[in-house]
Amino acid sequence: MKRFATALGAVALLVTACSGGPQSGGDSKLTGGKIVLGVLNDQSAGYSALSGKNSVEAVKMAIEDFKAKYGDKAVTKDIEVVDADHQNKPDVANTKAAEFYDRDGVDVILDVPTSSAALKVADVAKAKKKLYFNIGAATTDLTGKSCNKYTFHYAYDTYMLANGTGKNATENGAKNWYIVYPNYAFGQDMERSFKAAVEKAGGHVVGEDAAPFPSDNFSTYLLKAPTLNPKPDVIGTMQAGADLVNLVKQYNEFKLRDKGVGLSVGLMFLTDIHSLTPAALAGTTYTDAWYWNFDAKNREWADKFKARTGSRPTFAHAANYSAATQYLEAVQAAGTDEADTIVAQLEGKKVDDFFLRNGEIRKADHRVLHDAYLAQVKQPEEVKEDWDYVKILKTIPAAEAFRAPSPDCQMSGA
Amino acid sequence: MTNFLEQTFNGLVSGSFLALLALGLAVIFGLLRVVNFAHGAIYMLGAFGAYVLADELGLPFWAALLAVPVGLAALGMVLERAFIHRLTKLDPLYNFLLTFGLTLILQDLVKARYGVQSSPYAMPSALSGSVDLGLFEFPAYRVFVLGTSIAICVGVWALLTRTRVGMVVRAATERPELTRAFGINVGRWITPVFGFGVALAGLAGVLAAPMRAVNPLMGADLIIVVFAVVVIGGLGSIFGSVAVGFVIGVAQVWAEAYAPESWRALIAQTLPFVLMAVVLLWRPAGLFGREEIA
Amino acid sequence: MRRFAGPVLLAAGLLVAVWLPNGVYTGLAVDLLCWALFAVSVDLLLGYAGLLSFGHAAYWGSSAYATGLLAVHLGLPFPLAVLGGALTAALIAVPVGYLAVKRVGIYFAMVTLAFAQMIYFIANEWRSVTGGENGMQSVPRTLGSVDLSDNYYFYYAALPIVLGGLGLTWRIVHSPFGRVLVAIRDNPARARALGYPVHRYKLAAFVLSAFVAGLGGGLFALAHQFVSLDTLHWTTSGKAVIMVVLGGIGTLWGALFGSSFVVVLEDSLSQADFASPGLITGGVFVLAVLLFRRGLWGTVAAFLRRRF
Repeated sequence: MKRFATALGAVALLVTACSGGPQSGGDSKLTGGKIVLGVLNDQSAGYSALSGKNSVEAVKMAIEDFKAKYGDKAVTKDIEVVDADHQNKPDVANTKAAEFYDRDGVDVILDVPTSSAALKVADVAKAKKKLYFNIGAATTDLTGKSCNKYTFHYAYDTYMLANGTGKNATENGAKNWYIVYPNYAFGQDMERSFKAAVEKAGGHVVGEDAAPFPSDNFSTYLLKAPTLNPKPDVIGTMQAGADLVNLVKQYNEFKLRDKGVGLSVGLMFLTDIHSLTPAALAGTTYTDAWYWNFDAKNREWADKFKARTGSRPTFAHAANYSAATQYLEAVQAAGTDEADTIVAQLEGKKVDDFFLRNGEIRKADHRVLHDAYLAQVKQPEEVKEDWDYVKILKTIPAAEAFRAPSPDCQMSGA
Repeated sequence: MTNFLEQTFNGLVSGSFLALLALGLAVIFGLLRVVNFAHGAIYMLGAFGAYVLADELGLPFWAALLAVPVGLAALGMVLERAFIHRLTKLDPLYNFLLTFGLTLILQDLVKARYGVQSSPYAMPSALSGSVDLGLFEFPAYRVFVLGTSIAICVGVWALLTRTRVGMVVRAATERPELTRAFGINVGRWITPVFGFGVALAGLAGVLAAPMRAVNPLMGADLIIVVFAVVVIGGLGSIFGSVAVGFVIGVAQVWAEAYAPESWRALIAQTLPFVLMAVVLLWRPAGLFGREEIA
Repeated sequence: MRRFAGPVLLAAGLLVAVWLPNGVYTGLAVDLLCWALFAVSVDLLLGYAGLLSFGHAAYWGSSAYATGLLAVHLGLPFPLAVLGGALTAALIAVPVGYLAVKRVGIYFAMVTLAFAQMIYFIANEWRSVTGGENGMQSVPRTLGSVDLSDNYYFYYAALPIVLGGLGLTWRIVHSPFGRVLVAIRDNPARARALGYPVHRYKLAAFVLSAFVAGLGGGLFALAHQFVSLDTLHWTTSGKAVIMVVLGGIGTLWGALFGSSFVVVLEDSLSQADFASPGLITGGVFVLAVLLFRRGLWGTVAAFLRRRF
């Protein structure tokens, strides 16, 4: 069999030799001439509202602001954005990412929601030795066993979400928890971190159930919640997207809030609250990476964003702006967009912009640290303005918001 | 015990949707020999119909309950005349493929117009309370869903057994060759019956709007479970499809509530398909189906 | 003239296959190879046995996982890993096929669809093996000391396997076995009366088809060095059916043509400013079902046949 394999290899080489070798992919000369940012995200499926085309718009805003700031002193005026729709499919993400780096001369890929696609693109970035700022995905594997020299993880992750909500809500008085999570990798991650955070804060998990994913019927768990002993103070749901909507609608149907069982959500975006209406979620707590109406600085940017897109930004939009800005600043400071130089420029850097409060790009695992927020959905009568649905209960300091560097992360590709 | 009854009741509510969808699928199949892949997309359109009526015209749930199925019946009849009719002389697979293509188009049209985020739809205030059912209290809306679905199924059963068109449909469903041999003109009922089956899926969609996420893909995975339901019940049997719809609803809820903990989700999800495998081994035509139309 | 059509076509096809990665993006070229095998496997069943499998992602995907596991854990050279994957797919196809061939027509389609969905759920649940939703990452592709990290070289390394799979399908279709399949498709009662064990023939066709789909799926896993749950989802099965119907049912050239059309179309739509790819594919598909039931290839071939 081995001989067969060798023969096959020989044939492959022969054919290759006859046809003249691979086309040259990325032209290294372009690297000095212009900067290309590639936004790869979901523009047609489940995450297109919370990120999608508006993230591309946010990156364009970052480029304009960068040019305005440096004027003639800018490292180059030739800065482009390309974008593609990966439809949340890892194989499409794989092909597009390779095309971006090889064919379109992209220097940095931004966004990439959906953990499976995000992890795949990290692999591509490592192989091509080009930069990659993930924003849209939640998996901690990006800064754990799949971490590498060229990949940075922005905005949020499952640990931040679960720890922020689990710890802070427990300290605020929710002692007994019932956790319902979707039966796939994200849900399992969330459940583990959430439970740990609750127990560390002195709370108690009285029950936990893995629900089928996807599901349009959560009533089994909602019926079960009040019968648990001791009765839970709060249901912690790790569902996302349409499953979250299903669960919340049915939570209200069963009137669990009136029965003294509150609701806490693992991952929620502004767009989720918008589609469920604040009335359905009033009083629900969750952890947010950034909120547009937190202070004047955020609001100023959110106003500009709204003028261009017609809606208010989610934290993913703001994070795309911030990541593009930080990348351009690093290129400006280094005077080159050569990847290894930029990585050195970024590692360990303390950064502060309207998204990254008390930010730091941690060298050990490339986790980008910043303040996070414990948020609560307002009562309907408190909502005075469209999209202004939550109040910030507490700022979670950057140092506490994210996990310590994981021993699983062996910074490869260095 | 009370909890068990509560969960069972709950399963019947979830089975209501499967039963209504399976009923529509079986009625259409009965007369046209078409398996309507777009049935899940029509269910989705039903929910969106309710949303659009509320959002743009301010019409309440009750109006949607009537208007949306009627509107979708009209759409169904147009689709039948414009597309499906052209292919009925050919292998039924062509209509299966056609309705699959229509599903992709309908989903993307709704996606393009309303986005993939779920659209908000409020619970009708008259049904937002709870009902005391003796042993336990239950959300009024769920009781309403179950009641409506049972009433529709009984109504359709009465229609099928007590009226002439019903007898034609039933005869054509269960003994197609014989019916045609008797010289009964089945043809003129085809378009209205297709519209009727589509309306049932639309009705299920309207019923889903207050309690489930209204989004373009809400019917995409559901339709596959409904396929398993009709294979188990026997597509040729209208009674079988409805009964199995309720049974699967209850069985899934039982699995979620009482199966061994680490297996719950998997069992609940695969149960319809495992049952289908068992039924195929034991009775290939389905529990209530007849061999000759298999 | 017509006598030469076959060989000329074959020569042209081979030339295109050898030239391809020099003309289109190499990643896309490899994808074209994989999907071609998948579409051909679905057409083998639909076109020659009259069986519409709406759950062929089960074999494409399970082979992708099996290939990935063989490559990751045993470090097998890639042709062996693909072979192992395809055999796994064929093995899974035995019980499913056994149950499915009890039914024909739409029932067959629904049954295969339902079983594929079941396998999808199992793969999602079996996280320790499949990686669940995050997928199986970093699948290596090795062949002795040959460096295959560039897709350009991998394309040529994979091409013999693809040609082998296509050749196998061609042999099946043009063998006595294939003729019996066609006879069963056209008149099952007569075939049965002639003494052919109809179910067994269909089952054999089903398993062979799963094997060919598995070759494609295994290569797809290696092409992306990654396996995702998507490979098992029913929309993937639907995509293969679209390819076959668009290209033309019952001609292997049609399946090749259809798969290339869909892959290239999707690739160009993902970077175009257009958020509704399903509208285009769905629309073209509906038109094909309504108006061009011979498919793109079949329509062109019929036209040419009339002219010459």
